[in-house]
Amino acid sequence: MDTLASAGRWRRRTRIAAGVAALGLGTAAGPGVAAAHGGSLGAAAREQLAVPTWLFLATGGGAVGASFLLSSFVTDRALVAAIHSWHRGVALPRGLLARAGRLVGLVGLAAFVVTGLAGPREPLANLAVLGVWVGWWAGFAAATYLVGNAWPAINPWRTVARALPSLDRGLPGVGAWPSVAGLLALIWIEVVSPLADRPRLLVAVVLGYSAVTLAGAVVVGPVRWFASVDPVSRVFRYYGRVAPVTRDRDADGTSRLRLRLPGTGLTDTESIGSDGEVAFVVAILWATTYDGLVTTPAWRGAVRTLVGAGVPAGLVYPAALVAGFLAVLGSYRLAVRYSRRTADTYRSSGDLARRFAPPLLAIAAGYHLAHYLGYFLSLAPALAAATASPLSATATVPVLALPEWFGGVELAAVLAGHLLAVWVAHAIAFEAFPGRLQAIRSQYPVVLAMVVYTTASLWIVSQPEVPPPYV
Amino acid sequence: MTDDAPDGYAVPDGESPVACRYCGRPFGDDQLLALHRGLEHGDRLGDDERAAFEDALASERDQLRRFRLKALAALVALYFGLLIAYAAFA
Repeated sequence: MDTLASAGRWRRRTRIAAGVAALGLGTAAGPGVAAAHGGSLGAAAREQLAVPTWLFLATGGGAVGASFLLSSFVTDRALVAAIHSWHRGVALPRGLLARAGRLVGLVGLAAFVVTGLAGPREPLANLAVLGVWVGWWAGFAAATYLVGNAWPAINPWRTVARALPSLDRGLPGVGAWPSVAGLLALIWIEVVSPLADRPRLLVAVVLGYSAVTLAGAVVVGPVRWFASVDPVSRVFRYYGRVAPVTRDRDADGTSRLRLRLPGTGLTDTESIGSDGEVAFVVAILWATTYDGLVTTPAWRGAVRTLVGAGVPAGLVYPAALVAGFLAVLGSYRLAVRYSRRTADTYRSSGDLARRFAPPLLAIAAGYHLAHYLGYFLSLAPALAAATASPLSATATVPVLALPEWFGGVELAAVLAGHLLAVWVAHAIAFEAFPGRLQAIRSQYPVVLAMVVYTTASLWIVSQPEVPPPYV
Repeated sequence: MTDDAPDGYAVPDGESPVACRYCGRPFGDDQLLALHRGLEHGDRLGDDERAAFEDALASERDQLRRFRLKALAALVALYFGLLIAYAAFA
């Protein structure tokens, strides 16, 4: 794995662990029991957990279960509906903003390509590397679910594609599945190649993505391409549903910004319309988990065993990516089937799977924030320095040192994502079922699945980070 | 599965749910049907249906009250369970 990303993750992880210990019901630190599992650890990692791993995991799972129990006390339909329909509108100078957004996108893309090729080789001084990982994938993605989705306005490929002629061939009836495959492919490339270490390789991938995207947009038409095939646009669109700011149209067609409470956009029952879209939501969630899983010692051990037994190393990563994705998707669908039974409803499992998928986006957003907030803040000065002098490396790379308590913020992000998801699922259930107790019962299997997923994710977070083997 | 279920619903073969006479949606029992009618078609109900809705709401309130006691007990158990675990192991 790339050193830039790993270095950031390493620091993040130890801080998350420190925060866990601080939150541990105020109890004093004991010896690092959990850290002792890790084998080859440094002194920093030994301070990771002041509580046994199982207790740390049980606390995380317990927090999710407790939030479900707490939300089950809110059974006033009118109150739930009022919270979710609250909004304010602001008129928007659309033409001006759209032009500015397109300009930012095009200039940004051009700058990344030029500095990736001609800028300093040192990744921490290279604008392309910092811009893509720190500015775009950490900062812009976080802004998308914390504030609102500006990607359609900025997306430089969309701007270019709209200027190109289009063959406007229709899409075959494959729904959202191509974007699921595209997202898994992007995650695979990110994990197995040193994209954050080698600016030129990064530019090659960006140009490859550009070629595929523009060719696709020319063949099927930009609207269809970015609405259903392009995985990047879909990720930002889905993350944008968590956000408090959205765009809609008045009756007279003027664009307005609409302010709503965070997460309340997820209760829109029309937002996920097909099995492929459910799979995409699951893929976003699985992506954050897989990214962490490949840096655990357990993964290293398993891969070495498999490769020792004759399995080609290049096959292990994509196979695990796809298998894990199918396992998470399968467990989700299984939970929904049980949910049909506990709720005693005749709604089809497909219908329930589509309704209850959006809350998973809040969980994914929480994990994204936990993974990337510290990374973004600590490397933002380096990004600013690289922007100021894009073609020559500065003598020292400025990096922000984050305080110890920052780990608590990251842990809070994970928990906030889960709490929001539990609440949103509660509201969706109230919308879907006539009986209030029935709505609560429908959540039993889903909450159980969430508890298991939280526990697994926190286990990954608690593990010492090692570079993935054979990449 | 029968084909006449409304969109988003599936009724397994051999089951005969009660169906809403306004929109045809199937429900597992009369209480759920009565609640559905009151919530979705409140302005069209006859006297019998309105009375059934109110009965269903009252019996739902009782069930919710019992559920809340159990949920509270579970919360307390969870809280003290973790507290004791932290006192003993951390």
